[in-house]
Amino acid sequence: MTEAVERYEVRLVSEADWIGAGEICALCRVDLAVIAELAELGLVAPRGTAPAEWQLPAAALPRLALAGRLMHDLGVNVSGAALAIELLEAQQTLERQLQRLEHLLTP
Amino acid sequence: MEYRDYYQLLGVARTATAEEIKKSYRRLARKYHPDVSKETDAERKFKEVQEAYEVLKDPQKRAAYDQLGSEWKSGQQFRPPPDWASGFEFSGGARPGTAGTHGFDGEGFSDFFSSLFGGTSPFGGSARRASRQGRDHHARIDLELEEAFGGGTRTLELKRPDMKSDGSLDVRAHTVRVSIPAGVTDGQLIRLAGQGERSSGGARAGDLYLEVHVRPHRLYQLEGRDVTLTLPITPWEAALGATITVPTLGGAVDMQVPTGAQSGQKLRLRGRGLPGQPPGDAYVQLKIVVPPAKSPEARALYEEMRTKLGTFDPRAELKR
Repeated sequence: MTEAVERYEVRLVSEADWIGAGEICALCRVDLAVIAELAELGLVAPRGTAPAEWQLPAAALPRLALAGRLMHDLGVNVSGAALAIELLEAQQTLERQLQRLEHLLTP
Repeated sequence: MEYRDYYQLLGVARTATAEEIKKSYRRLARKYHPDVSKETDAERKFKEVQEAYEVLKDPQKRAAYDQLGSEWKSGQQFRPPPDWASGFEFSGGARPGTAGTHGFDGEGFSDFFSSLFGGTSPFGGSARRASRQGRDHHARIDLELEEAFGGGTRTLELKRPDMKSDGSLDVRAHTVRVSIPAGVTDGQLIRLAGQGERSSGGARAGDLYLEVHVRPHRLYQLEGRDVTLTLPITPWEAALGATITVPTLGGAVDMQVPTGAQSGQKLRLRGRGLPGQPPGDAYVQLKIVVPPAKSPEARALYEEMRTKLGTFDPRAELKR
C-alpha cells in the first residue's frame, strides 16, 4: 500500500507551553485525582484554581505519561509511581555520571 | 502464524487460579517493564506477558483459548478452527494492543492474538475506547547527538488509532516527515500541531508530542544543553601547558590547557554545546595518559624524573 508522506514543521515545547489538565489526563491515561496527588507529592506543579481548570507545563508530560504506564501496567498506586519516578530519574543521573567517569578512567 | 502458549509465557499451570495468574503477571510485568527493566529485549518480553495476561485474566477469553486444547506447543504453525469461539457469549473487551499495553508506538499484540481475539473475531466487535483516547498522541523519537545539534529532517512512521464506522478501533500507520529543530535536547518535547487524535464533527485535531531521546555518543556525554568530552593529554602537556585542537559538535577548536593541569580537571568552551537561548557549553575533562616505559630511552626519562622530582608525593593527603 502506498502511503502519503506528509511534511510537518515542528516546534520545540518550551517552559512557556501549558496543557489543559483534561488533555493531559487523556494523553497520559491518568485522572485528575492522580494529578492532584502527584502535585501534593511535589512531582508536578499545576496552575489554576479548580482541578478541572488546571493547566500543567508541557514539560511535565513525560513524567505523567510514565506515571500512567507504571500505574496501568504494574498496578502500583500514585505514591508507588511517584517513588519509582524519582528513583528512575536518580538512577538516570547516576548512570550519566558513571558513564563520564568510565570515559575518564578507561585506558 | 505460530501458536502461543500463554500459560507458559506467564509461567503458570493450565489449572492456575485467577489469583495465581495475576500474581505471575505482576511479577513478570515488574521484571520486564521497559521503563524499569534492564533485561535484554525487555519490551518484546513485556508485550508477550501482557498479551498472555490479556487472555488469561478474562474468563471468557481463557475458556475459549483453553478450548483449543493442551496439545499445542509454542511456535507450532496454527490456524484458528472454523468454529472458533462458537458457544461463547461476548461482553466486549479490550482491543489488541490497547489494553494496558506499554509504549508510545501503539503496536499491537501478535497475529495469533489478533486472529483469535482481534477486530474480526467474535471477541473484537464491541470494544469501547472512551478511556483509551490519546494513547498515540505521545511518541518517542530517538536522535543521534549530531542531529540534536544541527537539526535535520526525519521520517517517522506513526501509528494512529481511528474509530471505524462499526465502532471498532483500527490502528493505522502513517508516515510523516518532520523537521527537527537544531538544539533539541534529551527529554525535551516537540509538538506536531494537528497530528494527534482525529476529531469528529469538524473540531480541531489534537497535537502530537514527541519526546526526544538522544542516543549515547561515543565521544560526548550530554547533560541538558552541555556536552562533555574526555580529552586525553600527555603528562608534559599537563605539566607545561599546551594549545590543543579539540573536537566539538560544531567543529574543531584550539584550546589552551593551563600549566599544571590535572586529570579530571574540567575546562569550559563557552557556547560550544547544543544551540539554544542560551546555548549550552562544551566541557573538556582532561585525562592524563602516561606513556609506557618500554624503550630504554623512556625508562631513562622516568628514572631521571624519579631522581629529580623525588620530593613530589601525590599521596601526602593520605598520611595526615
